[in-house]
Parts: sequence; C-alpha cells; structure tokens
Amino acid sequence: MSVVETGRTGEARSSLALRIRSGLAGTNGRILMAFLIAGVLHLVGTLAISGYSSPFAIRALLVIAALLAVASIGQTLVVILGGIDLSIPFIIGFANVVAAQLYGDKWNFALVCLFVIVVAMLIGALNGYISRRLDIHPLIVTLGIGMIVQGAVLLWTKGFPSGSAPPYVSAFVSIGGSAGPLPFPWVVPALAVLATLIVLVLARTPYGRRLYALGSNPGAATLALIDPVRMWMLTFSLSAMFAAVTGILLLGFTGSAYGDVGQPYLFQTIAAVVVGGAALVGGRGSYLGTIAGVLVLTEINTLLIGLGFQPAAVQASLGAVIILLVSIYGRERHVSMTI
Amino acid sequence: MTKAFLQTLQGLRRDTGFALVLLVILLVVNLILNPARFQPSAWGSLIGLAAPLIGAAVASAPVILGGRGGIDISVGPLMGFVNAIVIQLLFLKAGISSPFGIIPAALLIGAAIGAINGALTTLVRIQPIVATLGTYLVLTGVTLTILPAPIGPAPGWLKALAGPWSALPLIALFAAWWTIRRLPYYDQLMAIGSDDRAAYTAGVDVTRVRFIAYVITGVFAAVAGLMLTALIGSADPNIGQAYTLISIAAVALGGVSLAGGRGGLVGASIGAIDIFLLQSVLTAFNVSTYVLQIAYGAILVAAVILTAVQERAARSREV
Amino acid sequence: MSDPARLHARDLVIRRGATPIVEEIRSGEIVGLAGLDGHGQERFLETLAGLQKPLAGAVSLERNGTETRITDFRKAVAAHVAYLPRDRRATGIFPTQSVLDNFAISTVSEDARFGFISAGQRARRYEVYRDRLSIAAPRPDAAITTLSGGNQQKVLLARALALKPGVLLLNDPTRGVDVATRHVLYDVFRDLARDGMALVVLSSEIEEILLLCHRVLVFRDHDIVANLQGPAMTTDAVIAAMFGRAA
Repeated sequence: MSVVETGRTGEARSSLALRIRSGLAGTNGRILMAFLIAGVLHLVGTLAISGYSSPFAIRALLVIAALLAVASIGQTLVVILGGIDLSIPFIIGFANVVAAQLYGDKWNFALVCLFVIVVAMLIGALNGYISRRLDIHPLIVTLGIGMIVQGAVLLWTKGFPSGSAPPYVSAFVSIGGSAGPLPFPWVVPALAVLATLIVLVLARTPYGRRLYALGSNPGAATLALIDPVRMWMLTFSLSAMFAAVTGILLLGFTGSAYGDVGQPYLFQTIAAVVVGGAALVGGRGSYLGTIAGVLVLTEINTLLIGLGFQPAAVQASLGAVIILLVSIYGRERHVSMTI
Repeated sequence: MTKAFLQTLQGLRRDTGFALVLLVILLVVNLILNPARFQPSAWGSLIGLAAPLIGAAVASAPVILGGRGGIDISVGPLMGFVNAIVIQLLFLKAGISSPFGIIPAALLIGAAIGAINGALTTLVRIQPIVATLGTYLVLTGVTLTILPAPIGPAPGWLKALAGPWSALPLIALFAAWWTIRRLPYYDQLMAIGSDDRAAYTAGVDVTRVRFIAYVITGVFAAVAGLMLTALIGSADPNIGQAYTLISIAAVALGGVSLAGGRGGLVGASIGAIDIFLLQSVLTAFNVSTYVLQIAYGAILVAAVILTAVQERAARSREV
Repeated sequence: MSDPARLHARDLVIRRGATPIVEEIRSGEIVGLAGLDGHGQERFLETLAGLQKPLAGAVSLERNGTETRITDFRKAVAAHVAYLPRDRRATGIFPTQSVLDNFAISTVSEDARFGFISAGQRARRYEVYRDRLSIAAPRPDAAITTLSGGNQQKVLLARALALKPGVLLLNDPTRGVDVATRHVLYDVFRDLARDGMALVVLSSEIEEILLLCHRVLVFRDHDIVANLQGPAMTTDAVIAAMFGRAA
C-alpha cells in the first residue's frame, strides 16, 4: 500500500505535505522513523538520567544492540520470505552450550565453531524443507524442531552445561573491550561490516531479489524460475547460522554456558523486525530497518531500567510501545483493499 | 446406525489428522502403565490436571480459524493474569469469595482483553502475532507487578473445580462452543477463515466477525485461567506464559490449520489431551523432563508431517 | 530471434480416454487455441510449457536437428520455451517489487557481476523491452502495482521475452488489458513471429484469434476437433467446432 502511495504521489502532484506523508508511510520512511524514535529516546534518556550518554553506557548499549542485531539477521530474512523462525532461541542455546562443552573437551575452537554452525545450518535447512515442501506453517515446524534441539542439548549436558569461551571471544564482545583505537569492542565494527554486507546481499544479489519476490507472491515464484523449497532451506539455514553465531558470542559475553540464554531473543527478534517496518506477510522488510528496530528496543529497555522501572514494568511498557509504534506505521490493508 | 457412527468417526479422524489415532494409542499405553491413575475414582483430579491445557488450546482455536494469520499468543499470559487478579485482588484484597462475583469478573476480564486484541488486529489492523505479542508482554509485566511472588490460597469451591467438579468448566466451554456452532456466526467465521475476500464480497462483515473471534478467545482463555487457578489452588505470576506455545502446538496437532478455515475445537482439545497423555506416559517411564521435551517436539513435528502427507495423498486421489 | 525452433506434441494424451494429440508448431507461425472453458486447451498449453505431465506421449523441441524432450517447466525454459500465465495477480506479478525487479526476476543471474547485480546492465536490458513493447512506466523503480493492467502485462511479457525464447506460449495474454494496449501487443506478437518465433495463443475471444493467428486449434472434451486456417478460419466455423455442430 505504502509503496503504491509513494508512486502515485510521485506521478500526480508534488505537494510537499503529501510527499512527507507518503514518504513516512513508505519503506524508507518507516526505517527513518524508527531511527528517529531511537534518537529521540536516547535524547530523552540523556536529559532524564545522568550518565545515560556516558562512554560506558553507550558502549554497553552498542554491544547489547549488536548481539540482538546478529540474532535478528535470520529473522529478517525469514520474515521477508513470508515465514517466521521460532527456533532462533533454541539454536542460540544449542550453540552456546555445545560450543562451551566441546571447547571444554579441548577441541580446537575454530573447529568447535565450524561444527556448531554446520549442525545449526542443517537444522535450519530441515526447518525450511519441512515447512515449504509439506506446506506446514513454519511457526509449528520451527517450534517443534526447536523443542527437540533444546531437549537434546539438555539431555546431553544433563541440565548442567559447563565450559566457557576462549578469552579472545570474550574480548570480542566485552563491554570494556576496544577495537584498536576505537572505544568499543570489535563486535561493533564487525556488525557494521556485516550489516553492510547483508543490505548489499538483499538489494543487489540474485538471492536477495528472489527472496523478496518469493515472499511477495509465492504463487508466481516457480514461473519466475525461483525454487521455493531451495530458497526456504537456504534462508532458514542462514537464520540458524546467525543464531549459532549469536550463541557463541553470548558465550563470550556472559562467560559461561546457559541453555536458556537465547529465550529473550524469541520475541525480541520478531519485535525488532516488525518495529523496523517489515510486514510479516512477506516481500517487505530490510535489514537496515531491523537495525533501527534493534536500536529502538535497546533504547527503550535501557531507558526504562534507568528510570528505575522494575523488570516487570519494563516488559509491560515494551509491549505497549511495540503496539504503539506498529499502529503508527505498520498497519495492514483492510480486506476490501485486497480485492 | 453403526454406519453413520463410523462415518462420523471417519470424518473426525480426517479432520483431526493423526491426533485421534495418537489419542487412542496413548490412552491404551497409559491404561497399561498406570491403571491406578486412570481409575474412575481418580477421573476428577485427572481431568482437573489436563483442563488448563485443554482450555488454553480451545481458547487459541477461534482466532486461528478466522484465518489471515489470526493467532493469539497472549492466551497464556491472560490465563496468568486472570489467575493473579482472581486470587490477589478479588479474593485476598477485596475479600470476594463467591463464585457469582469471581466468575463474572474473570469472564469480563477475558472479554475485555480479547476486545483489546480484537481492536488492535481488526480496527488498528496490526498483524495478529505482533499485536498479541504486545499484549503478551503487557499482561506478563502487569501480572508480575500486581503479584511479585506466588501467593495463596484459593477459595474452596474453586479448588473443587480441579477435583470432583473438574468436568464442569470444560462442559461449560464446550456448551458455549456448541451454541456458537449453531449460530450463523460460526459459518461466517469459517468462511472468512478459508477466503476472506470471497466472504467480504458476499457481504460478510469481516472486521466484526474477526473481532468477535478475539473476544471469544479472550473469554475462553479466562475460563482456562480459572481452571489453572483451581488446579494450582493459588496464584503464580510465572505460570501462564508456558501455556502459549504449547497450546498453539496442541491446536496444530489437533488438525486446525494455522492458515484458518479448517479444523475445530474438538480437534484442538484432542491435540491438548494428546500432549497431556504423552506427558503422563513419559512420567510413568520416569524419564527426565529433557526427554519429555524432545518427545513433545518430535510428536508435534511428526504429527503435522503425517497430517500434511495424508492430505496430499487425499488431494492427489481427487484429481 | 535465434535459430528456428519447432515444438512437437507427440501422441499427447491430456485426459484419460482422449485422442492422442499430434501437433507441430513451427517457427514463424502464430497458433490460436480456442474452446469453451475447461475443454482442454489450457491443459494442452500448460503441458507444452512443462507445467503439467501428460498421461501419455511427449512434448519436445526441435532445434538445429536435435530434439529436446520437455518434461518439466525448467527443462522447457532451458529449451527456450517461455510461458506467460493467465492470472496476472495470482501467478504473474510480485506486487511489492519494482517494475525493474518484476522484469528481471526470471533472468536475474544475467545481470550479476561477481555475484552482485549491475544496476546499469539491468536497466539497459529493461530499456530494450521498454522501447519494444512501449511500456509506460515513469519510474521503473516504483512498485509494479503503480502501473495499469496493460502495462503490468507488458512487463510480464518483457520478463518472458528476456528468456530469449524460440517458442512463446501465451495464456490469454490480453485478459483485462485495454484496447489500445491490445493492439500494441498484437503488433509485438506479429513482429516476433516474423522474426522466427513460434507463438501459441490461448484466448477466450474468438475475434482475437481470428485477427492474430495463422491457424487455430479448437478443443472440445480434451480433443482437438478442428484445425482451421486460411479462409476456413471464420467465427462460425470456430463456434461450430467448439459446440460440436456442423458449420
């Protein structure tokens, strides 16, 4: 709808007000708005709470946001495809625990990462294959597979995972760390590079264009030489891959393995993608938007905690803010507009 | 007579996929493993034990039947919210202990939250999963704020609803749904679930029908919340959320299509009973909760796969 | 376009009990498919495109003396047989995507340099078809849904032509298209045939077939009941064959 509006006004009249309005409704407008909101929230925090913009606070904010941003890459891709991935928190937990365990068993850490990521990608591919090939809602498939994965990990570690990450992984994500002369750990610039790459892949590669097309109209995909099963397998395995990377980074961040470390990411990744302007019906969304959504969520969280809200109240406010934001710019079309 | 019965059974089996087969198998296994637990004298507490999950699954179904991504993930937190309000605010603080005060209040809360979800998804037109994720977070947070720690007890009559009278709330739920099924509303809901554009063109008020589905889900979730309260006999702020995903799993297991328009509440409750019985079997084997979780996931995935394969086979026979 | 190609239907059975279809569609000819809805013409067209499996017989493309069997849609495209679907909204356009995206999607790898799409290359490819089909899209980067139905159809035709087909299968190509655009499309089809392409046009309008096609195959009950050309191709003859009456 929004894109249509942008086009029409472009053709019809160039009234500034109309342009601004349709611009805000357009995809880029949504992203811009989400960034603006993050900025305003930060400003409010700086004015209301002393030390909100202190170097340490900003470092912490950036690192926490970076971790959520990595976890949300997969959700972004899957949502553009028209799916949803509930297995992300379970894969995060799997990678977190298994990496720690194997590293504790004196495996080479590069080999550990390779192993964990490959297994995660196979699980992801299975998610995609079952969902698309048999036309079962990915919500159910990823939930079921996720439960199996979590149960298997718990069974293997008997509920008491052990081990840790090598020091360089901890340094990579440590809030006190620094990337050469830069005042934040390497995870932040690394994410910036990764984000640029993801944006480029989505906008400028055959895979990216096929991803949007398939999400936009699955019924037309096969005739346009897109193989839906292959795309779903690839995309869900990418989602699992980034979840596994998040799990490994979290191992460095928290210092010890914890099977439920991924649980907050279940709804946070979805919320970040949605606040960033993607529609869960497929064909729309962007990783830049997700980054904006991640910043908004992290800012709200930090701000409310800084204002002395209890965790419960923070959660409630977060829910209200998500609804508010999405009701401003994430509305769907009325059924009469789809005929 | 027998033929008609068999046909009904056949129809039910088709609608519920493998859930019914699974139900029979699990029931037999349970009876063999643990006859004492399934004695008629134990039925009251057994049903009470299964009731919250059945209630949650039944509550999740109406909005899913309405299609176009309809889903309510706030069902679990709403159950917890009702649990907290009933015990903490109504019973302990306000001293209301009569069922005639508590039950209407609970249903009203359910209807109100359902109406909020309905308004957000149909009037504001937010994606159902996002809107109810918002209410999920709000309800969870508010519940924790009014009830920071578990507290008890519950009124005696309420506890009896998980014991000797445990069938009562379930009967009430099914009677309500049985009535709805006889209204033109039900046909409209199923029609928009399978094709909302066609239904809209045919003059169905899609917005109103979907809105009401959310209210029904809210009211049913409140009943499930009462059943949960009866079962635990206290208030616990952290117990509700767990029901969300497992109830959606039960619904899918029971052959309700997440795309809408196909399935029913009987299927949803069969799915829920499957999960309950599975839990019971595995507990009888004395396996760890980890194996239980693997089994949940595996059965869920296997059941939806088998149902999908079966449907495919049926479709290709038709062509 | 390229070397002349012939599409063969060899003893093709598209419905149990139907007479096997033997047909040859030659380079440079426009063949119409007519019939009452559901009488097999659409199934025949989809079988030629590799979208439906025949009950018996085979479809194959002959080119430079070699023959390639078409068993599925991808094989058809690889053999330079392109297909334009009937229902633009359900199986044609990608509504959230731009005009350029919609044009380039089937041939998206062609613009890739080291894995990344060259915007310039893609725009140049699009411009060729924009001029040839006179697509009116003021902003090719705007969503395809900003275009009229006729222009959307032209973009889809451009998508099919970008595959450089030797055979073009068109499923009711002027459905929901305004009269002016129809005539543009007819001219394009005639030009393509003149350049050596073989075209098969399924149409629900007999006038359109008579105006455009060199010959027409009339379907009834999944059999070809008439193969009319030249002076024999009249409205009355087609209708008579459709309804199974003597002309």
